[in-house]
Amino acid sequence: MFTMEEIELLSDEEFIEAEKQIEKLYAVWQVKNLRGRAAVFHDDQHINQPRKELKAMEHPSFDAEAEIAFRMKPVVDSLEGNMLIHPLTTPVIEVDETCTKARGTWWSVGIEGLSKFREKPMAIVSLGMVPGTHVKMNGEWRILSGNWQRTTKNEYHAGWINDMQVTNTRPPLSKEEDRNFLGKYAYMKDEVRKPVPAPPEKDTWNSSPEETDVSWLYKNL
Amino acid sequence: MIDEERKQNLLLKINQLSAYQEIENNMGRLIAAVNFRRIDDVLKYFALEMDDVSLEYADEGVFEGAEALRAGIEYLLGTEIRAGEMIDLQLTTPVIEVAADCRTARALWWSPGALSVLRENDEPQARWMWGDFAVDFIYINDEWKVWHLHYFTVIHCDYHEGWVDDTSLINRLNTPMHERAKPSTWHNPYHPKAIRYGIPAAPYPYDTWREEERYWMLRNDKTR
Repeated sequence: MFTMEEIELLSDEEFIEAEKQIEKLYAVWQVKNLRGRAAVFHDDQHINQPRKELKAMEHPSFDAEAEIAFRMKPVVDSLEGNMLIHPLTTPVIEVDETCTKARGTWWSVGIEGLSKFREKPMAIVSLGMVPGTHVKMNGEWRILSGNWQRTTKNEYHAGWINDMQVTNTRPPLSKEEDRNFLGKYAYMKDEVRKPVPAPPEKDTWNSSPEETDVSWLYKNL
Repeated sequence: MIDEERKQNLLLKINQLSAYQEIENNMGRLIAAVNFRRIDDVLKYFALEMDDVSLEYADEGVFEGAEALRAGIEYLLGTEIRAGEMIDLQLTTPVIEVAADCRTARALWWSPGALSVLRENDEPQARWMWGDFAVDFIYINDEWKVWHLHYFTVIHCDYHEGWVDDTSLINRLNTPMHERAKPSTWHNPYHPKAIRYGIPAAPYPYDTWREEERYWMLRNDKTR
């Protein structure tokens, strides 16, 4: 472990630089923790149960009303047999100079169980990405934006070449509606894959300083 | 102005980040040792000096204390490695909290995994084995070691059948429990009739180890 004696050896300039670098690394860790917590909550699915707030509800750009309404809506009759395991891998996270904003992307190979009306569940393989912008508010990192972006969502035995399930909503989405929602960049066997989301570049906060700017995700289009 | 508080804050974050990296590496090494079934290597990442060092595995119970831990790992991993066998667990989705006193840490990983299990007069069986690791670490003799490790089964099924059609492997057979195993604290794998509860829970920031929070991973209160 480091000691205070070692800290005392730093000049003021060295201390300030070290403080900034450490704060950035610490922020990357905290953002990973935040997304991990969100993954646990996502699998839990108990709607309207009190939870630690992970979203930037107080941010001026955040539609808190819509978020609360979304959380209240059931999309299955019973939680029996339902499961949403979307592990997070391949993190790329860039923090701004003030250490209050962070952009990140993760990739995910996941599995689900889906039973909409208490029928026998469907086993689903779900590949996708988690892009997002995060802000530090009142001393805590929160998710400002970024939805699950599907790559595949197939019945397990059918495989991802031959099957694409739509996102489960009530009322249900048509294939076309789904394609314009979370399935916008999903795998299609007769299409060239689009390079979205782009991982945040090292200079992402210089080139797009506003946290509400999400153009960085689509820079490769 | 660089005052004492800023210096203390920097020192704390350096030491927490250093702990974070060492914990990730040591847990990765431990899982590699599990995958390669190197029992002595698995054991060296545990805090065997602690009377209550422990391993809880699914519904096989809790192996507590250094001797029980070794017995449990030998029981679970087996001492003979045969051709065609494979364990391949991976660590993802880390949530790690290092205490403000930098003496202990709590961590959660989600673990996709695949197995190849031998069968009599048949080809090895390909299986999925996905689960979660909730782990307490303790800083002891200048190293971050596993103090309490709890593996939670999510799915355990035949690869070809999948987790909805094959639930035959999610619970242990009704054979005698290992003589060193204490009762399990939680076992709720995926099943078409089971409900998920967000357990193991993610750890929350904390200042110092308190025995009353020993089972942080089992809490169903999601407000922290």
